Amino acid sequence: MSVKAFKLVPAVEREMLMGEKTRINIECIECCGKNLYIGTNDGSIYHFLLEERNSPSEKTSFSVTKQLHKYLSVRKAVGELKAASALNRLLVLCDSTITLVNMMNLEPIPTGARIKGAVTFTLNENPVNGDPFCVEVCIVSVKRRTIQLFLVYEDRVQIVKEVFTQEQPCAVAVDGHYLCLALTTQYIILNYNTGASQDLFPYSSEERRPIVKRIGREEFLLAGPGGLGMFATVDGISQRAPVHWSENVIGAALCFPYVVALDEEFITVHSMLDQQQKQTLAFKDGHILQDFEGKVIVATSKGVYILVPLPLERQIQDLLASHRVEEALVLAKGARRNIPKEKFQVMYKRILQQAGFIQFAQLQFLEAKELFRSGQLDVRELISLYPFLLPASSSFMRSHPPLHEYADLNQLTQGDHEKMAKCKRFLMSYLNEVRSTDVANGYKEDVDTALLKLYAEANHESLLDLLVSENFCLLTDSAAWLEKHKKYFALGLLYHSNGQDAAALQLWIKIVNGDVQDSTRTDLYEYIVDFLTSCSDHELVWKYAEWLLQRNEEIGVHVFTRRPQEEEQENSFNPDDVMSCLNKYPKSLVKYLEFLVLERRIQKEKYHTHLAVLYLEKVLHLKSLETERSEELVDTQAKLQSLLRKSDLYRAYFILDKISGSDLHMECAILYGKLEEHDKALHILVHVLKDFAAAEDYCVWNSENKGIPYRRKLFHMLLMAYLNSSSAERELVMAAVDLLNSHAADFDAALVLQLLPDSWSVQLLSSFLTGAMRESIHAQRMSQIALGLAKTENLIYKHEKVKLKGHTTVLSDRKLCQVCQTPFCEPAFVRYPNGSVVHTHCAANRLVTSNTNHHFSSSSGRT
Amino acid sequence: MKPDGKVVLLGDVNVGKTSLLHRYMERRFQGTVSTVGGAFFLKQWGPHHISLWDTAGREQFHGLGSMYCRGAAAVILTYDVTNFQSVVELEDRFLALTDTANRDCIFAVVGNKVDLTDACACVPEAEDGHLSEKPISSSVPTKVKKQVRMDDAIAFYKKILKYKMMDEKDAPAAEKMCFETSAKSGYMVDQLFETVFDMVVPTILEQKAEGSSQTVDLHNYKTAKNTQPGCCR
Ligand SMILES: Nc1nc2c(ncn2[C@@H]2O[C@H](COP(=O)(O)OP(=O)(O)OP(=O)(O)O)[C@@H](O)[C@H]2O)c(=O)[nH]1
Ligand SMILES: [Mg+2]
Repeated sequence: MSVKAFKLVPAVEREMLMGEKTRINIECIECCGKNLYIGTNDGSIYHFLLEERNSPSEKTSFSVTKQLHKYLSVRKAVGELKAASALNRLLVLCDSTITLVNMMNLEPIPTGARIKGAVTFTLNENPVNGDPFCVEVCIVSVKRRTIQLFLVYEDRVQIVKEVFTQEQPCAVAVDGHYLCLALTTQYIILNYNTGASQDLFPYSSEERRPIVKRIGREEFLLAGPGGLGMFATVDGISQRAPVHWSENVIGAALCFPYVVALDEEFITVHSMLDQQQKQTLAFKDGHILQDFEGKVIVATSKGVYILVPLPLERQIQDLLASHRVEEALVLAKGARRNIPKEKFQVMYKRILQQAGFIQFAQLQFLEAKELFRSGQLDVRELISLYPFLLPASSSFMRSHPPLHEYADLNQLTQGDHEKMAKCKRFLMSYLNEVRSTDVANGYKEDVDTALLKLYAEANHESLLDLLVSENFCLLTDSAAWLEKHKKYFALGLLYHSNGQDAAALQLWIKIVNGDVQDSTRTDLYEYIVDFLTSCSDHELVWKYAEWLLQRNEEIGVHVFTRRPQEEEQENSFNPDDVMSCLNKYPKSLVKYLEFLVLERRIQKEKYHTHLAVLYLEKVLHLKSLETERSEELVDTQAKLQSLLRKSDLYRAYFILDKISGSDLHMECAILYGKLEEHDKALHILVHVLKDFAAAEDYCVWNSENKGIPYRRKLFHMLLMAYLNSSSAERELVMAAVDLLNSHAADFDAALVLQLLPDSWSVQLLSSFLTGAMRESIHAQRMSQIALGLAKTENLIYKHEKVKLKGHTTVLSDRKLCQVCQTPFCEPAFVRYPNGSVVHTHCAANRLVTSNTNHHFSSSSGRT
Repeated sequence: MKPDGKVVLLGDVNVGKTSLLHRYMERRFQGTVSTVGGAFFLKQWGPHHISLWDTAGREQFHGLGSMYCRGAAAVILTYDVTNFQSVVELEDRFLALTDTANRDCIFAVVGNKVDLTDACACVPEAEDGHLSEKPISSSVPTKVKKQVRMDDAIAFYKKILKYKMMDEKDAPAAEKMCFETSAKSGYMVDQLFETVFDMVVPTILEQKAEGSSQTVDLHNYKTAKNTQPGCCR
């Protein structure tokens, strides 16, 4: 496949040169700036002015005006022309002699300086001599196997070097100190400074005309075997793959990134970037092809033409138009150094984007994505391909000129559903990837809305993730779309993320009630409870509380009992309001009171009493059923007892009243306990319930935090209850013994011993007795220690006192009071333990102020 | 971009140099045309860029070989296991081309097209699903006799060392540097190139180190001068 890289434009036509004189032929050309020189076979030089005309119709053409036509002194063919613009000289090779003429008037220079005996010559474009007013000329000499180097000044020439080669040279190019030579059988590189030479490759100059052409710093282009254009550096290395042109190449030139070659019938254009042949132009009888400062000129023996490169951008666009992405990108990248940086970046980005769309249309998504990414594509360009995805409010306009040829995805896929689905899946993953990156900056709304639409349509689970995380979905557009696709739960989430909780709830409740269908969540009711629990809009909570409680008393009440920690501090829900709401829902009410009393630990009699009454009523109710629902009964009864025991706030008489007549003895005992009527309580425990363990327990919990005397009193009462029973039951006696033995420390042993019947053996009470003994010895020792310590402390204080009294205090009229800083006028003073001395009245004042003035009092120390 | 090292494939026409490179670089085997002149690929190997040169086996381009080999860090000499003449050619024609290569150039000897020989235990087809691409010659894979044995390759490798006047003890072992591959099936192709690259890396590092020591560090030079006392007094 080809590219249109160049176009051939005629510059100097036959009539302008020779008119009817048919024997005159063009031999050589030179172009320097606007000056075009032509040398002919009859020993004359033409000078033209070449000006580019940029007509709007993209058709570059040249205006050529003849300046001069000058015959040289010899009527022989002009072999070569080279301009040295810095010297204003034209070097003319004619009849084996290089003469210097003035560039403008073509007059020979007066000194007549010249170089004799040259077969061919070339200028060093990478000169080693620093002088700007001289050029370095290298000639192939008429002497056998000789190359000569000259410095040419305005009006004189100077030979600098003569080098000999192993074979006869036929063409030469120079770069710095390096000569690239075509010898008879091979090409070589020769460093004329050191004499070092390097063989490149063999080549028969007899079969073909060799070409050596400097194409840039230290690099040459050579005609190789088999019609190859070979590249070689001054180190004798090839760094680029060869291009394959035809066998009979006459001339070659470089116009980046192309190598242009001329043969008898064609001009061929190869890319240096991929070695491919890109263009062929028919051109008959050409015999010169040369590039001059980037301008490629070809000539037949009768006329001169210019090969005008088409702008690279055009070439790239042509390649893209024929979907040759790879080539277009190679060319664009290759063009980097030929285009100003800013311009290049803009252009290159656009090319990447276009290339991305080409790959996209071929469903090469990976490649497309990479191109979009590196081309920094505005994602909306891609979204806009998909019908209805961009929100109606989006201000997006596709770039102009368009990046691709498609109206929309339907056109691109031509109705192929599978392709369509693939494209959609791609966009989904692409948007999901870019939405949180810079790529989406500035149009996050468009991106998120499009993504939401894709998810909803595809029934994709990520829809919910999108909505519950931070997102920029536009409400109106998204809502309509979700409704269309019956994603009501998601729609609720959308409302929520837009601050419209009321609308969200209304919708969700409709779903739970079955008014609309959406099975996204089976636990939607619980979801709503959680939602309202953490909802800060209390009006909404009140609005839907009844609905929640009606559906499920136990879970619904969570909106009151599980509110977030932060909110709890504010006490924003008044318990009385909540309770009046819960009155119709007994289960909820119990839960709520439990929450208030047990969890929040609110110290209000009314809640405690209320809860106790509710428990009690339930227990009584369950008992009255007399069925086997004992588990619930046990449970509730345990709760009741625990409450009665732990709380001190409920109205005990009131409860007691309610209990009386029932068989709730344990509860009764607990209540008596609360009322400090321990004998009644213990009576019930010992005589009615005969639950000795409970009785002991009773003594323990009732005396908690009340000190040892109280505890002893209780245990004593229990002991009495055991012993003083009228019917000295054996059972009670045993209980008394056990009690004593296991609670030795809780009794006043002396008192107990007086009470015990004489008949009891020491053996029976041994455990009690040793315990009591140990206890009393312990108490005695402890008090001895305390006494000792107190005595010591007293001694320390006495010592301090003696020490303080031992010092004398001298008072003179020069000494100042530490408080008011004035001298003492009378002998009375106050001395502080730290030695400071003050007026008596100051000390008196201090005593008054010291309560308020801490700073002062602390600085003066106290004993 | 200037490559850090160069690896060159040499060998007679039709032995499969281009196919080997395609298989390695593009992971597939496709029809090739006889190479004109040469071609090259750039391969990133760790931090280094290695240029891989494919040369033309045709007699016409023989003269280019020396230039391609100039400065090469490794040369892969390729023959066709079904064609004894192709090894002979390596010795007669191609070995001399490597005279321009680096002094410490690595050599590998590669016998390609093992998939064609009866001796080869059925080589698996290409892994990347190009099963549909029928072999270009015929659709029935006919096994042919292997004409070059591994021993021949090893003997040749030893000849190379002798030619280069290298001691066998200093050079990589023949067993390590002789390969039998199939560009068609991919057999041993990665191992071949990866072995060669790994062996080339030390040379590259050496060159880089030399290169940097030749560079004058102006910045450091300047500071060194500034600290010298007395120069401005
Ligand atoms: N069966 C088989 N055929 C191969 C293999 N390698 C290459 N071929 C075939 O052999 C022929 C030559 O392959 P190329 O890779 O072009 O050979 P070359 O060495 O590059 O040849 P020149 O470029 O002319 O030097 C082609 O038809 C390939 O399909 C292989 O491993 N097995
Ligand atoms: Mg090849």
